[in-house]
Amino acid sequence: MEFSIDVDVQRRIEEARELGAKEFRPAGLEADRNAAPLPVDHPFFERCIERGEGRTRWQGLNPPSARPAPTRTVVGTLLVMEELAYWDRGIINAIPGPGLPEQSVLSMGTDEQKEKYLGPFLEPDRPRWACFAMTEPGAGSDAAALTTNAKRDGDGWILNGAKCFIGSASRSDWLLVQATVDPSKGRGGQRAFFVERGTEGLGGFKIEKKMGLKSYESTSFTLDNVRVSAAHQLGAGGRNEKKAGFKTAMQTFNAGRPIIAAQAVGMARSVLDEAINFAKIHDLTKKDRVRDRIEGIARRVRKARMMSVRAAWLADQQRANIIEASMSKALGAQIAQESASFALELLGTMGGAGNHIIEKLYRDVKAMDIVEGTGQIQKMLIARSLVGLPR
Amino acid sequence: MNFELGDDLELVVETARKLAESELTPRLRESEASRAVSEDLLGSWEEIGLAGLEVPEAAGGAGLGAVARVLVNEELAAGDAGAALALDPYGPAFTAILEVAGEDAASEFVASLSRRTARALLIMGEDARVDLVSDQISIDAPWVAADRADVIVVLNGDEAILLREGFTLERVRGAGLRAAGASHLRASSAPIAARWSNSEGAARARSRARLYYASLLIGVMRAACEFSAAYSQEREAFGKPIGHHQALAFLIAEMRIAVDAARLLVHEAAWRVDAGLPSAVEASSAWAECIDVSRTVGPDAVQILGGHGFMADYPVEKFMREARALGLLCGGFDAAIEEAGRELVNSTHPLSLTTHGAN
Repeated sequence: MEFSIDVDVQRRIEEARELGAKEFRPAGLEADRNAAPLPVDHPFFERCIERGEGRTRWQGLNPPSARPAPTRTVVGTLLVMEELAYWDRGIINAIPGPGLPEQSVLSMGTDEQKEKYLGPFLEPDRPRWACFAMTEPGAGSDAAALTTNAKRDGDGWILNGAKCFIGSASRSDWLLVQATVDPSKGRGGQRAFFVERGTEGLGGFKIEKKMGLKSYESTSFTLDNVRVSAAHQLGAGGRNEKKAGFKTAMQTFNAGRPIIAAQAVGMARSVLDEAINFAKIHDLTKKDRVRDRIEGIARRVRKARMMSVRAAWLADQQRANIIEASMSKALGAQIAQESASFALELLGTMGGAGNHIIEKLYRDVKAMDIVEGTGQIQKMLIARSLVGLPR
Repeated sequence: MNFELGDDLELVVETARKLAESELTPRLRESEASRAVSEDLLGSWEEIGLAGLEVPEAAGGAGLGAVARVLVNEELAAGDAGAALALDPYGPAFTAILEVAGEDAASEFVASLSRRTARALLIMGEDARVDLVSDQISIDAPWVAADRADVIVVLNGDEAILLREGFTLERVRGAGLRAAGASHLRASSAPIAARWSNSEGAARARSRARLYYASLLIGVMRAACEFSAAYSQEREAFGKPIGHHQALAFLIAEMRIAVDAARLLVHEAAWRVDAGLPSAVEASSAWAECIDVSRTVGPDAVQILGGHGFMADYPVEKFMREARALGLLCGGFDAAIEEAGRELVNSTHPLSLTTHGAN
């Protein structure tokens, strides 16, 4: 048993801390004040590209041997994510790059698709985004119920439907759209399609107004007889075509749960530091009820962190972590919410004024119990394993 | 970062688990009624070599640390927490001497006691009325989990105080842990056999004592969770196993999450003790967390069994009582959060990812 952090990961955490303080926190506060995501041409994004962010992990079709892919542990990534979320969780999602669909393209895309869709992210000339579109107004947690459909049209497909809450959708070069080709087959009947910006029939983009996490766009849009070629189907013609269905979606979700938990931990840790700071400034540290609340927050943060790290460590060992990942996600989101709520009680009416960062965190953090599978979905997954809860 | 126990600890855990399954669980009501574990069991525990778990190898012990202790305690307590106490001749009294007085004094301490039958008790200043007048001590502890004691160690502030005589144990009914006994401990101007002062050592001794009981609590809660989850798959109501009704399925998931998270805090704090890192806040937090979740996990396990849970035919009522009783020891919840809270409000970024691992 050994819970210390590797020197290399420690260094990355320190870089994240610097970046977070200098870039993430001010950008997040700006977007929250403006109640809108930073515009595409905001200098923040230019600086992201200058720092080398927003690139694909893909090495190109003929990767130069001098550029081996760095092997990074899930634990390392998770701890860096905790640190970044400490400074601003929303901005993490706003960073340019191939984002959520990248892993699906890497594991299931054809070489042509990788070249075409990830190629521009090798050395991006400007901030570029891509997005993965699954959620629909009528299908959130129950993703198998989505109704956006793809119908054969000669050699290609015609897509119809509506998507919502899709991150960065209106600014994406392309959207990987999950659609059903055979609703009778449920998840098995789903496929993913690349839809490029500007394709006829793709439109109705509406950036939603949100309670929190305002620094990235959550966007709804419609697909109205959108015609794409056979080559736009993820994995089309390749050996992965068959498995590139619903699994695409679930795979994108799989590694993510402990990381979302860690981000919730980072936010709760931010709450903790701000609460301590507030208590000191207002000379409250001698009050039992104040110390007790702070102790409660710290204890919750600590346990949620350990749960997220364990789930990530299991993933690094390539061991099954379904229960642990779900437990960490359910717990992390819940404790972060409770922590923010406790901390607002310390602030009293100063919290009610709506201009303290704990108040922002309280609004931001609620989303953590909703994204990547709600707390209830996680508990269903856990209960399936523990007591055989039927589907 | 490594959550693996390693081969040596795996073996120790496995040994404790097997003993708990074969000897403790089947006799839990018997041990409770007789307020003791059998002589045979004490003998085999000593023969395996786990009776002197933390005793240095030079003094004939296993020379293991806080991590080994919390792992073994969980396994034993998953069988019977009272029996776990009865099986340990020295208890956290030993680690208090080890941390405050040092290895030589600790070796002397164990040499004066029988590894098979000794009972050494640790009294925390918070758990009793303790009065010190020059070289004499008076103690009034309404409940200790023992029917007899060879020595008493009082951990009071920065001091560890050893008593070999001048105290009495008067039997009380006990709210739980009866397999270890239950008494009212009194000492009136008893002679102090030895005393040591060491503030860092005393802090570590407190951490180890808290982790000792925290890990017993984890074991009890694990047993409560496992028993009630298994029951929920057998018992049917409204046409299906009760565990397949979402209200109970979620409750069972929540119980498991609570216990897993508390366990990780215990492990992390124990690792810090063994690594020589500051551990006071971590151990206090782990202990507080175990108590916090035991407030619901114990009663929830009974709730899952309904009326049957209330009856002594099933062990869950015992788990509920004993989880609650354990949480009253070692200063309980309030002393733990007080200690952690005081330190936290004096720090600026208490959980930042910079020093000493993930905390």
